[in-house]
Amino acid sequence: MTSERLRLCMAGGISVIVGTADVDGIPTCCRAIAISTKDDFDTVTVYVPAATAQETIANVATTRRVAISCTDPLSHGSLQIKGLTRGVRLAAPEEEEFVHRRLHEFADVLDILGQPRRVTQRVVHWPAFAIDVSVEQVFDQTPGPKAGAALT
Amino acid sequence: MKLSSISRCFQGVIPSLIASADAHGMPNITYVSQVYLVDEKHVALSQQFFNKTRRNLEENPNAAVEITDPLNMQAYRLRLRFLRSEKSGPLFDTMKLRIEAIASHTGMEGVFRLIAADIFEVVRAEKVEGFLLPSEIHDDEAVSVYGHRTEIRGLQLVSDRINRADDLENLLAATLDALDVYFGFRNSIVLLHDEPSQRLITIACRGYGGGVGAEVALGDGLIGTVARERRVLRISSLDENLRYGRAVRRSVLSEKGTAPVRPEIPLPGLPDAQSALILPLLIEDRLVGVLATESREPMAFGEWDEAYLGVIANQIALGIDRVLLDEDDEPSEVPAPPPRLMSPPPTRARHTLTYYRGDDTIFLNDDYLIRNVPGRILWKLLGEWKKQGRTAFTNRELRLDPSLGLPEVKDNLESRLILLRHRLREKCPELQIASAGRGKFSLEIAADLDLVEKA
Repeated sequence: MTSERLRLCMAGGISVIVGTADVDGIPTCCRAIAISTKDDFDTVTVYVPAATAQETIANVATTRRVAISCTDPLSHGSLQIKGLTRGVRLAAPEEEEFVHRRLHEFADVLDILGQPRRVTQRVVHWPAFAIDVSVEQVFDQTPGPKAGAALT
Repeated sequence: MKLSSISRCFQGVIPSLIASADAHGMPNITYVSQVYLVDEKHVALSQQFFNKTRRNLEENPNAAVEITDPLNMQAYRLRLRFLRSEKSGPLFDTMKLRIEAIASHTGMEGVFRLIAADIFEVVRAEKVEGFLLPSEIHDDEAVSVYGHRTEIRGLQLVSDRINRADDLENLLAATLDALDVYFGFRNSIVLLHDEPSQRLITIACRGYGGGVGAEVALGDGLIGTVARERRVLRISSLDENLRYGRAVRRSVLSEKGTAPVRPEIPLPGLPDAQSALILPLLIEDRLVGVLATESREPMAFGEWDEAYLGVIANQIALGIDRVLLDEDDEPSEVPAPPPRLMSPPPTRARHTLTYYRGDDTIFLNDDYLIRNVPGRILWKLLGEWKKQGRTAFTNRELRLDPSLGLPEVKDNLESRLILLRHRLREKCPELQIASAGRGKFSLEIAADLDLVEKA
């Protein structure tokens, strides 16, 4: 069940956002462009634009804690992954096509909702930082009384 | 940065992000349906569920919000400090109205509700530099939401039409026409409050293929909630709001043992409306009706539209009151019947009207025509015509006829006659009720009618 929902989050057209906090507990947020996994969700890699993720990168470098929310804009179905950063790197050139495709898929979904594709495609997405995160907890975040429940 | 300079970001078209952290610094990130701009130093967030963000704020008052301009997608970040929760007062009531309207529409009253308005101090607000690639078009030129308008002249035109109208039907038709022609409010509805039944009855429409006679109970859906709360509701992204409400609904329905929830209430009007501006028509605190306008465009209505339509709504409410009060001075004598046509039409249609006493319903041939009080009125008029050949009538004689079952006060006779006229125009053009001056009307019959009464 959880794996199935996580798998849906790795698909295109999903909104991905990242929350972190500094050592004083001051939080910050950042829109990510893409998320992927290579080991069946033991770890995920989230891609954030280098241009707008300076605070996020500084925070994960010091506290390692990260929260990632994945939401389907059409249904508001959502879950949140919490974990510890295993590493931060500048995304490799061979990852650019993947990140680029995800932005375009997201723009396609927003276009359905009335946000013109050309506007969404103006969002800067490259170069990007790749944050590798070990998954520790997954929570349901779909709006409603069950929001916040841990998924097992 | 002045928050009012980015007011479009606060209309809830694109959901905002909020990050919080617990006492140990573990972050949490989620969407928030709307960040409400309180003033240049404060914003409010709706607390609908006691969720992780809310628990974090009790441990650590710091939060970060990212809001987005829906026209150009430019992002802005606000560093916030939680101050307090408000569970009553004007701000709470304003935020509550939107949530309750959506909850009512999606059948989620009581589940999807505002618990509190959480007030935050804005510690810092900044544009997210580098968020967007440079645009070939200057952002401010991309889309203009608020065009140039000659407000005073337009107000004068609408006001003039309201003042000149001599009956309710003309008043509402002329007003909705003026709102469309002069100001581009293409899709508008006026509903009258029927106090005895606690319902709203659609009495005039513009931009729809019918709809007069449709009813909404007080408190039901967007329009019913506005009527019950007697407050203005402006929604800039109806589709987004409804999808959020439906997500809550699905979540509730998926819970085992959940009590059945009421079905979603269909929106009267456009099936694909993106924006709605709904205003109560009030005389002091007394609800006269509701004026609703909608658009297929998101963010179609801004603060200007709300203020302007607020003035128009007051004029309409006063106009309705004036027309209905004028009826009290209506003449008691029966007017002279209108001159008959010298030459009858070459062929006359033949219709059978059947009145079913048991459920107060009239059928035209085999099709439903009208029921309840308007049905009884029509049957009375047709009976008088059949027995005595009368075609001229007054409102007063209808009011004095106990068999019609009109309430003694606030009988809404005028609105019932409008409904009857609309139904006859739609279903039986050969049978019409024409105004013959203040408080008077005539029956115009251009067909052979068979009247049948059944139990």
